[in-house]
Amino acid sequence: MRIVRNGAVALTATALLALTACSGDADTPDTQDDAAGDATEIRLWLNGTDTPDELREYLVDTFAAENDGATLVIEEQDWNGLVPRLQTALTSEEQTPDVVEIGNTQAPTFTYAGAFSDVSDLYAELGGDTLLQGFVEAGSADGKVYALPYYSGARAVFYRKDLFAAAGVEVPTTLEEFAQAATTLQAANPAGTPNFSGFWFPGQDWYNGTAWVYTYGGDLAVQDGDAWAGALSSPESQEGLAQVQKLFTEGTNAPQDADSNEPWVPFNNGESAMFSAPTWARWSIDLPECNKGVDPEDESEEAKALRAEQQACNEEKTGVFPLPGLTADEPATVFAGGSNIAIPAKSQNQELARSLMRIIFSEDYQTMLAENGLIPANTEYASAMGDDVYATAAIDAALGAKLTPAAEKWADVEGARILEDFFQQIASGADIAEASAEADQLIADTLN
Amino acid sequence: MPTSHPAADAGAAPAEPAVPAVPGGPAGPGSPASAQVVAPVGSAPGQPPAAAAHPRGAARRRPLRSRLRVYLLLIPAIVPIAVGLGYPLVRQLVLSFQEYGLAQQFGRPAEWVGLDNYVTLLTDPYVWTVIARSVAFCLVNAALTMAIGMGLAVLMAKVGRAARMTLQVGMLLAWGTPVLATMTIWQWLFDSQYGVINWLLAEPLGMDGLRYHSWLIDPLSFYAVATVIVVWMSVPFVVFTVYAGLLQVPAETMEAAQLDGANARQRFWLITIPMVKPVLFVVALLQIIWDLRVFTQIYVLQRAGAPTRETHLLGTYIYSLAKEFSMAGAMATIMLALTLALTAFYIRRMLREEEL
Repeated sequence: MRIVRNGAVALTATALLALTACSGDADTPDTQDDAAGDATEIRLWLNGTDTPDELREYLVDTFAAENDGATLVIEEQDWNGLVPRLQTALTSEEQTPDVVEIGNTQAPTFTYAGAFSDVSDLYAELGGDTLLQGFVEAGSADGKVYALPYYSGARAVFYRKDLFAAAGVEVPTTLEEFAQAATTLQAANPAGTPNFSGFWFPGQDWYNGTAWVYTYGGDLAVQDGDAWAGALSSPESQEGLAQVQKLFTEGTNAPQDADSNEPWVPFNNGESAMFSAPTWARWSIDLPECNKGVDPEDESEEAKALRAEQQACNEEKTGVFPLPGLTADEPATVFAGGSNIAIPAKSQNQELARSLMRIIFSEDYQTMLAENGLIPANTEYASAMGDDVYATAAIDAALGAKLTPAAEKWADVEGARILEDFFQQIASGADIAEASAEADQLIADTLN
Repeated sequence: MPTSHPAADAGAAPAEPAVPAVPGGPAGPGSPASAQVVAPVGSAPGQPPAAAAHPRGAARRRPLRSRLRVYLLLIPAIVPIAVGLGYPLVRQLVLSFQEYGLAQQFGRPAEWVGLDNYVTLLTDPYVWTVIARSVAFCLVNAALTMAIGMGLAVLMAKVGRAARMTLQVGMLLAWGTPVLATMTIWQWLFDSQYGVINWLLAEPLGMDGLRYHSWLIDPLSFYAVATVIVVWMSVPFVVFTVYAGLLQVPAETMEAAQLDGANARQRFWLITIPMVKPVLFVVALLQIIWDLRVFTQIYVLQRAGAPTRETHLLGTYIYSLAKEFSMAGAMATIMLALTLALTAFYIRRMLREEEL
């Protein structure tokens, strides 16, 4: 399904590129009387549907109000295939957007390549040290800041309350208890389905596996002078990986040849008691006993009411907690997802783009991000996320969350799927030290 | 298409502004005049001598204009080839001698590194593993495709009308469905948790150990699955082409052979096969080229959960290098050389057959 969509996306992207190319040409005369400040249009690329419509409207309206005569156009890009699209768009004065959102793990590659304008002078004004520091680091090179944080999302664990009760398992408060809970649930199989998993942990799921490495104090790669070295062989990482392998063996029956995509499918099927995903996964939970059989496209009042009832039922049967840490009072250090935002160096509207950045980092907008369940770039406004279980779990998880190493070529490690392969080997029962040494070597070769 | 018919062409030629150079008057009757246009562009050896003699005479009378005209007519073919094939090839070659990555795309000057990229790649034992895997995969797949395809083509020539139609429709569907759509279905079939194949093996056939079997996690089993899919997708082309070739074998030759006492086996191996050999050569050549550069099927299967590094073939390996354009360019050039080496024998043989 994903693959087919990729095809469609590629088409859309091509069409978009073609469109933007055309509009770029059409805009050229406008840019020339830019000095007059009228009729300039700047373009913002946002990825996926993570930024809700309400926020987009706010940006467009505020931008128009603050910049006399200039208008903002928001173009939505798909996350799939974003890197190659940026590789072509950001190198062309005519096609480049004026402000661009980019995945946090992709940010270093483009930052080091010189794709973005230096915004160090704006840094303090836009929030300075209150901004999510891991993301700032991902967008910095040689002591200058190029890409700022946009928002962050962290993973939390979803669980079936009824299965926990049936197996006599409490919500775990330490990482060890978590593994124990997964093992107990799996052995008890309270749902009575074949191939039941205590925790849905597919072999290639390095997003979740990394949480153990980080929590035990390890890392994926560390910088040593100018060179990068893989850090999976460090004693801390090894300790975490041993726990990962134990969990793979005793706490899950998920296939070794699957990745972290759509973990709610087995959960909805009653084939797992827990899964870990960003908190927006709540909208994908659809337990059979709650399903009212409404057409998701049906916009009638009746259908809306039924859907609300269905969602309430799902959320009542499902609980959520941040992955616990080594001790009861701290959450695990999980893998942080999210994105950065930057001004492309080739943009012809640098001043207007900076004006848009000021709007994005304003208290109003940051608060709106938080109200929509995203962890805002400026941590001062995170409290606006509210205090329901999802917000609390998300904030707790995000507090300790950590990014992938801010190495120039980190995107290549992901492109080569080194970590997918590595965790798959751990899941298949490979010798941890041997597999780690091999992966470290591959990571070092790729990063340097 | 009236223009493909010489007689009709003769009438149309003077009125057609695209071929104003045809000297309708002085060159004599219309029919050879149109042959004159065709002869230099198409392959001359195929022309019957009688038709060729006349235009050659005309060419000798006004050699320069005539030759210019020939080159002029070649331009529409040469320009797209130069733009579509020549430019990327030259660019790839140039890149392979540079250091060219993302930073260079953003304006940092590209450094010339000579043969460095090639040295790095060719001294890496992993690259040789990938090359060996690709060649083995290509040969196995091409051989299987040819064997199954030829078998089905012979079958198609022998069975009745209804069976032939069924075969043809089935093949066309297999061939005509978009690759990504079929790949999604294959992926679902082999899914370890929800796949039909595991279910079939476990439930009706009682092989419980295979209920949650991972087909893709072991490289050999991965290539077996990939082979099934690639062969399944390539067979229809071989069947249709070879079947068309088989239809060209004259019935009277076969009948004569039969009267002379040749049995079915002898007739097949000694008459049919030699007669369709040119077709077989072309098809085998294409299969080898296609199977060497197989990409989509491998890429999709890798994303479905296979260990990536252990299952790379040339196509996917080059793609994985693509952030370092220069490295990918060098690897692509190596692959081009490999393709030429693998097919040189065929191409030479084919050219020789054509001369006969």
